[in-house]
Amino acid sequence: MAADMTNRKMFWAMIVGAVFRRRSRAIMAVIASMVGAMTLFCLAAISIAVPQQMNEELRSYGANLIVTATGGMSDETVSTIESTVTGVADAKAAAYRYESVRINSAPYVMAGIDVNEVRNLNRHWNVDGSWPSEGRVLVGRDVADALGVSIGSTVTIGYRGEDSGQPNGDVAGGAGASSGSAASGSSEDKAAGETGQQTRDGRVSTDILDTSGTKFQVAGIVDTGGSEDEIVYAVGSDLTTLAGKRGPDVIEFSSEASEDQLSGLVSKLNKQGAAASAGSTGSTGAADAVTYQAQQVTKMTASNQRIITMLKTLFWIVSLVVLVLTLVGVSTTMASIVSQRRNEIGLRKALGASSLSVAAEFFVESALYGLLGGLIGMGLGYALARVLCAQVFERTLDFSWALGVASVLLSVVLAIIASIPPVRRATRIDPAIVLREE
Amino acid sequence: MQLELDHISKIYGDLHAVDDLSLTVPEGQWLAIVGSSGSGKTTLMNMIGCMDTPSKGSVTLEGRRLEDLNAAQLADVRKNMIGLVFQKFYLVPHLTAVENVMVAQYYHSVVDEKEALAALDRVGLKERAHHLPGQLSGGEQQRVCIARALINCPKLILADEPTGNLDEKNEKIVLDLFRQLHEQGTTIIVVTHDALVASCAQREIMLNHGVLVGEKWNDEEARKAYEAAGGRPASTGSTAEGAQSGDVPIGFDDPTKAAKTGGEE
Repeated sequence: MAADMTNRKMFWAMIVGAVFRRRSRAIMAVIASMVGAMTLFCLAAISIAVPQQMNEELRSYGANLIVTATGGMSDETVSTIESTVTGVADAKAAAYRYESVRINSAPYVMAGIDVNEVRNLNRHWNVDGSWPSEGRVLVGRDVADALGVSIGSTVTIGYRGEDSGQPNGDVAGGAGASSGSAASGSSEDKAAGETGQQTRDGRVSTDILDTSGTKFQVAGIVDTGGSEDEIVYAVGSDLTTLAGKRGPDVIEFSSEASEDQLSGLVSKLNKQGAAASAGSTGSTGAADAVTYQAQQVTKMTASNQRIITMLKTLFWIVSLVVLVLTLVGVSTTMASIVSQRRNEIGLRKALGASSLSVAAEFFVESALYGLLGGLIGMGLGYALARVLCAQVFERTLDFSWALGVASVLLSVVLAIIASIPPVRRATRIDPAIVLREE
Repeated sequence: MQLELDHISKIYGDLHAVDDLSLTVPEGQWLAIVGSSGSGKTTLMNMIGCMDTPSKGSVTLEGRRLEDLNAAQLADVRKNMIGLVFQKFYLVPHLTAVENVMVAQYYHSVVDEKEALAALDRVGLKERAHHLPGQLSGGEQQRVCIARALINCPKLILADEPTGNLDEKNEKIVLDLFRQLHEQGTTIIVVTHDALVASCAQREIMLNHGVLVGEKWNDEEARKAYEAAGGRPASTGSTAEGAQSGDVPIGFDDPTKAAKTGGEE
C-alpha cells in the first residue's frame, strides 16, 4: 500500500477489500447482476437485429411495387423501368406476361414467367411438384380443382386471345394487379360484364366448346391462398409459342427502398409512364402507345409491421420480467451481505461512521458488483445473442457498443436500486450491537 | 468531572439492566466496572460510549449532556472523544491490520498511514501491519484494536473485557499498554469480571443485577485527589438488598483474584 494514503484511497481500499477479499458473497452479487445483464443484452440485441432481419426476409415474400402496362412492354421500357427502380435501392424483379387461354373449353389466364425470377421473389408460394419448364406448366390450386387435374396430368391449352372479346391489356392488368391489389376482382367483373358471362373459380363460363390446343403436362400445383391460385404458369418461351411474341404486362419488384422512397418511386414511374405514352403517341400514333403505371403494395408491409410490433412487445415483456428478477436477485444478495456484515457495520458506526458514509460505501460496493456483472453479462449476452442469431435466425450479429454501454449502465443502476432496501437496513443498525453480542 | 452519570437507569420491561446509578469520573482516572455476567456492565458501557441512551437520568461527557444530542452528534462524540476496545476484537475481516487502524482515522478526520503504522509499532505489531485479521492471533488482534482505539488520541478509552479471550502473556501486554495510556493521562474505563484486570485500575465499582453493590479504591492517592477535587463515591437510588445507596462506599472482595494471582495477595 502506498505511504501517501488519502481518505479517497482509503475509501477505495475498503471497497476493494470488501469486494475482492470476500469473494463468495461478491461472486453471488456479481452473478446476479451478470445474469440480468446477459439476458437483457441478449434480448435487446435480438429484438433490434431480428426485426431488421425479418423486414428483409419478409420482403422476399412478395412484391412491394408493381408496374403494369396497357400492352406488352418493349425491352427498352422494361430496361428503363428496372433501372429507375434499382436506381433508388436494390430490388428483385419478376416479369409476367398474361394471356387468355382455353382449357377444356373454359377460359383461363396463363402467365409466362421466368421461373428463377418469380421463385426468388415469391418464396412464400407453396408449390406442390415442380416449377414450370418447357412443355410443363404450374397450375393454380383453384384451376387444378376446377379441371380435376393433378401433377403429371396432361392439359390441352388453346390460345383464345382473338376470341376473348377484350384487349390483352385488360387481362394482363387485372391478373397482374391481382398479385397485390384489389384490382383483380374489378378487372374480372369488367371482363365478365363485357361478355355478359359469369365468373366462377377464376374462369369465365362460356358456351364455346373448343378443345383444340397444345398439350402441356402439369409439373406442379401452386397454392398461395391468393389470386395466383387462379392462373396457369408456363415458361415465357411456351407462351410465346402459343400466343406469339410480346413483352411482359406486369413487372413486380421487391425493393429495399423505404416507404417514402417507394412513394417517390411510384410518382416518378407514373410520370415516366405518361411521358413514354405521350412520346410514343407523337411519333407512331395512338395504336402503338405503351403506357405503364406503378403502384405500391402495402399489404405485406402492414403485416410485416404487425409481426415486428408483436415481437418487440414480447421482447419488452420478457425484458421487464428479467429486470424484476434481477432486482430481486441483487437485492436478496445485498441483503445477505448486509446481514453477514451486520457486526462490521455496527463497528463502523461505533467508530464514528455516519449513516450516510455507511450507505455510500454499500452503494458504491453494489455499483461495483453491477459494473463487474454488467461487463461479464454484456460479453456473455453478446455471445448468446450471436449463437441464437446464427442458430435460430441464420444471421450474424455485429456487436453494438451503444447497446453494450447501455446494458452495463443499466446493470449498475439496477444494482444500486436493488441495494436501497438492504442499505437502508444497514444504516439503521445500532452500533451498540457490537458490545451487546457476547 | 469528565464523565457524570446522574441517576441513570436502563429498563427493558420489568428488567432494570442498570438501576439508578450515579457516578463521576475525573479526567485521567482508571476505573474498572466489575460484576458477573448479566450484571449490567456492558449496558452501562454502551450508555457511556454514546451507543445507547438511558431510560432515565442523564449522562454528561466533557460537559455535554448526551441525551440532548442526535445520532450524528453522538457519532461525532464517539469518534472524537472515545476509543473503543471490545472483547471479541471486532476488526473488519477484509481489511489488513493497518487498514483497520486507518478506518478509525478515516471516520475521524484524515487518514495517515505513518501514524497508523506508528500505533501498530507501539503495540508491537508493525511487522504484522499488512496481515488480515484472520492471519493474526487473538492477542495480536486485540492489540490492533487497542492501536485503533488510541490512533485518534481519545480522551476516554472504553474497554469491554479487553483480555477476556487472551492468554496470560497477551493479557500482560494489553494491561501494560493500558498502563502506558493511563500514565499519559488518558481516562480508562474497563468493564471486566477478571480480578487481575480490575486490580490494575485505580478504582473499582461493582454491579450486581444492574445495582451498584460496592466500590473500592486500589490507589489511595488517587482517591484523595478525587475527593479533593469534589468527587463523591458512586451511589444508587435502588432499594435492592446490598445496594450502595449512601455516601459511604461498600467494599468488596475479588473472588477470582486469588486464583488469578496464585494466592500471592
